Amino acid sequence: MLLLLIILLPLLGFAYLGLFGKGLREPLPGIIASTLTGISFLLVVAALFAGGGSWEIKDWLPGIPFSLVLDHLSGYMGLVVTGVGFLIHVYAIGYMHGDEGFSRFFAYLNFFIAMMMTLVLAGSYPVMFIGWEGVGLASFLLIGFWYTEKKNADSARKAFITNRIGDLGFLLGMALLYSSFGTLSISGLREALESSTVLPLSLGLAGFLLFVGAVGKSAQVPLMVWLPDAMAGPTPVSALIHAATMVTAGVYLIARSSFLYANLQDVSYFIALIGITTAAYGALSALGQWDIKKIIAYSTISQLGYMFLAVGVGAYWIALFHVMTHAFYKALLFLASGSVIHALGGEQDVRKMGGLKKYLPRTHLHGLAGALSLAGFPLLAGFWSKDAIITATLNYPFGGIGLYVAGLTVAFLTAIYAMRWYVLVFLGEYKGDAHPHESPSVMTIPNDVLALGAVFAGFLALPKPFWNLIEPFLAPVLAHVEVHEMSLGMEWGLITLSAVVALTGLYLGYLAFTRWALPKWYLTFQTWSENAFYIDLVYNVLIVNPLKELSEIWALLDGLLDSGYLALAGLSGWLGEKLAWLQAGYVRVYGALMVLGLVVMLVWGVLR
Amino acid sequence: MIHVLIFLPLLFGVWALVAPQQARPVGLLGSLLTLIVGLLTFGAFLGGNDFAYHVPLLGEAGIYYAVAWDGVGAVLMLAVVTATFIALLAAHDVPPAMVGLALLMETGLLGLLAAQDLILFYVFFEATLIPSLLMLGLYGGAGRVRALVKFAIFTLVGSLLMLAGILAARYLGGAPSFLLSDLTAHKLGGAAGVWAFSAFLIAFMVKTPLFPLHVWLPDFHAENHPSGLADVMGTLYKVGLFGLFRWALPLFPSAFALFQPWLLALAAFTAIWAAWIAYAQTDWKRLLAYGALSHMGIGALGIFSGTVAGGVGAIFLLAASAVYTGALFLFAGGLQRRFGTLELRPTSGLAKSAPGLAALGLILVLAMVGLPGLSGFPGEFMNLLGAWQASPIWTFVGFLAVIAAAAYALTAYQNLFHNAPDKPASDLSSVEWWWGSLAVLVILFMGVYPKLFTEVLVPSAQALVGLLGGGK
Repeated sequence: MLLLLIILLPLLGFAYLGLFGKGLREPLPGIIASTLTGISFLLVVAALFAGGGSWEIKDWLPGIPFSLVLDHLSGYMGLVVTGVGFLIHVYAIGYMHGDEGFSRFFAYLNFFIAMMMTLVLAGSYPVMFIGWEGVGLASFLLIGFWYTEKKNADSARKAFITNRIGDLGFLLGMALLYSSFGTLSISGLREALESSTVLPLSLGLAGFLLFVGAVGKSAQVPLMVWLPDAMAGPTPVSALIHAATMVTAGVYLIARSSFLYANLQDVSYFIALIGITTAAYGALSALGQWDIKKIIAYSTISQLGYMFLAVGVGAYWIALFHVMTHAFYKALLFLASGSVIHALGGEQDVRKMGGLKKYLPRTHLHGLAGALSLAGFPLLAGFWSKDAIITATLNYPFGGIGLYVAGLTVAFLTAIYAMRWYVLVFLGEYKGDAHPHESPSVMTIPNDVLALGAVFAGFLALPKPFWNLIEPFLAPVLAHVEVHEMSLGMEWGLITLSAVVALTGLYLGYLAFTRWALPKWYLTFQTWSENAFYIDLVYNVLIVNPLKELSEIWALLDGLLDSGYLALAGLSGWLGEKLAWLQAGYVRVYGALMVLGLVVMLVWGVLR
Repeated sequence: MIHVLIFLPLLFGVWALVAPQQARPVGLLGSLLTLIVGLLTFGAFLGGNDFAYHVPLLGEAGIYYAVAWDGVGAVLMLAVVTATFIALLAAHDVPPAMVGLALLMETGLLGLLAAQDLILFYVFFEATLIPSLLMLGLYGGAGRVRALVKFAIFTLVGSLLMLAGILAARYLGGAPSFLLSDLTAHKLGGAAGVWAFSAFLIAFMVKTPLFPLHVWLPDFHAENHPSGLADVMGTLYKVGLFGLFRWALPLFPSAFALFQPWLLALAAFTAIWAAWIAYAQTDWKRLLAYGALSHMGIGALGIFSGTVAGGVGAIFLLAASAVYTGALFLFAGGLQRRFGTLELRPTSGLAKSAPGLAALGLILVLAMVGLPGLSGFPGEFMNLLGAWQASPIWTFVGFLAVIAAAAYALTAYQNLFHNAPDKPASDLSSVEWWWGSLAVLVILFMGVYPKLFTEVLVPSAQALVGLLGGGK
């Protein structure tokens, strides 16, 4: 019942603010929504201390219970969701100040928390799917929050439809699991799988289909196109939904299903490949962006790619470790960007920024902490988790040296674009014409907390011989995989290498975007990168537009079918008219016809 | 009580017809009382009472007045009484006679759901057609005659074939009467069974509808009275899936087994074809017609899968879609009242001036998209689970409609409610508040607690699968 409350409280907030929010004065809706999310956070903490719990309605659908489970995995994820969620709620009280949709915004935000917690606490796949599509709806509503602009509304729809493609994979995956095992409860499947006689091929297909769902929700190649557009929503939304929590749901799904994937070598390897491809694509696209939020959006795609690399190679706990550190530094980067945008009266183009270090000292520190953590600056949170992923490609079961090299290369790129973002926004001279002012403390205090996380959260899980609190905490709920033991010297050698790569990237990035005149080849690359390698264009030309045109053509064909029936009806009328003369009513005519018929039959009989 | 339930609307319908100046209160009272009796009946049914009643009409010919509620009938009965009440509540400005005709249809629908005798079913099935035709013919739009002729011919050709099938089923099968129990005990197999099954199939495919016998549907909706009342009743009258579940499949399992692969393909094709075409529509009612057609394809996948999950899913979907599709037609009626047109985009940015209407529209549209937590999802999901067991490939093809649904529904919704505000319009009227909240509550309830309905559907579906030979 406690678990249900974690979901019901924010849901109640949504219902209340949705129905009566209009009559409430600012900042009351924000306070209500934040408080409810805060209580949910405390409930998760309490439930964890109480040793977890579960709750279910039997046979919610025939043979499918509605079950919620709070174990170490969902508790861990729940802490991230409600904790970061709470901070962002508070921040939004300042950010959304004066917006006429103030209460509507917080209603949607609370709805998101409720759905995300449904997803996280789900004890069976259909329940997870409720949350899964629920957060998709929240995302749709919040991307299109300022719906009077067509661009925002279109982005919202694009996100929902692209996600639905993935969702179909999720649905079909569930159908396959159900027809193979007769249950969709996650613990039930885990047990069933241990004594399974199901064909590996069909298990592999199920794993693949669930992964398709993850690809959509977590914006992996090839379904990544919706996430950059999703930045059309207010910045707290980008931080909460499109960076810290919702987009990591795919990683969570795979980790939840680790008992399945740990047995699927080919699928896992495929996931790792998609992950590293996405990581590279995101990093390369981030390099050329000019919108302060889009740089971070592509960075999110890239970092999600790292998480999939991790679950792909079998390092489930490391992926979740990165989910947590990423939640801190990426939410921080977005909220710092939000403060910058807020300070500049809505300006998002980094070419019209620069020098903000002087005007926004506190936000500058937030931005610096976030960017360095993202870049993998030694000892910061992002360094430990990303390094753990890169190292895992060597000693976890589905990895390989190729993945290692690629992972390290992308880390180098990451450092460069992180530095580029920082340099363009905060260093140099201010190039815009607004009057920058620091944000109110309702916005800066949440950022302080996030900054602490972005700097120190990595110390929760350090490499040997130091302590690691996360791996043993999550171990009982994740599948056991055989890890190849690495010598301490080797491990710390690799860590040093990572550090050197990150520092080199940061330094080169600093030089490149402050001192150097960029060479010609780079400018060509810049154009491609700025347009994210024209993937959107390709999709529109090859897929979206043909589908739309075909709908018109099918509609025409459907009309033709209609005409066909009409013609058939006409034909029978015409035939009736033409044959009517046979019914002349004269005996002599009937007699003649009879004789004629007889003759024809006789002739036919003789000739045959 | 079963007779009260079936004939109460008839009584009020006649009253409304003879006293047209009181049609609205009579219609509301009648449908409300029917709703209450319906709810009580369902409650009693959950307690184990099936209200079976059985008296010979023409004993010598083996025709009985035999009625009873089983799980399928009871769930759909609830959909009928609920949707009819919501529709009569919403359609406050229709010609008085339409109220009466709607109530007459309600009796026909309840009767055909309860009937346990094939001839009785046929009588109710046909009787329902008459008020439906009258509504279209008397109060339809400019192209109503064409739509009427098309609707009538498709339906009548289907039913006449079915009549032949009915006679064949009994006399060639050797059943002592037309009672369901007798007919299923003397199933007609062989070539005669195939022919008779085909006759039933055509009748029910027209009434589901399924490709290629669906062409009457878009015109039927587009030309009916703009209030949406006739569309709700017409949606309820699409009992093809029920007919297949109750009659066609149990009576001819061997013929069905022969046709099954083709039927699955046809259902999947209908689902994706209609959803794709829906995207190209420019009129709310045509969009809804194609959207509903696509859902019926999904439901047919479930029925034709011959599985318990599929059977439950199909009937759940049928009941749920009667409510949300019906509500969407009423919603379109509200747009017609505001803008004098049913075109998809009479204005834009409407959410600004009419936020309540936007919220209602969104919930209804999302129910149609099949969002979990709303009534569209449980049925769709059970169909998925069932259909996959019969044919993964056709399931995949049919469920591509899930993506298409998001595309056509959200595009239509956003074109109207989002983007830069154009002509403003009034927000929800008090009547719209009432029927809208009621519809939303039903949609939420069915989505959040489907258990209440699936639990009674399971035994029916198990019985069906048993008759089909154990199922796969």
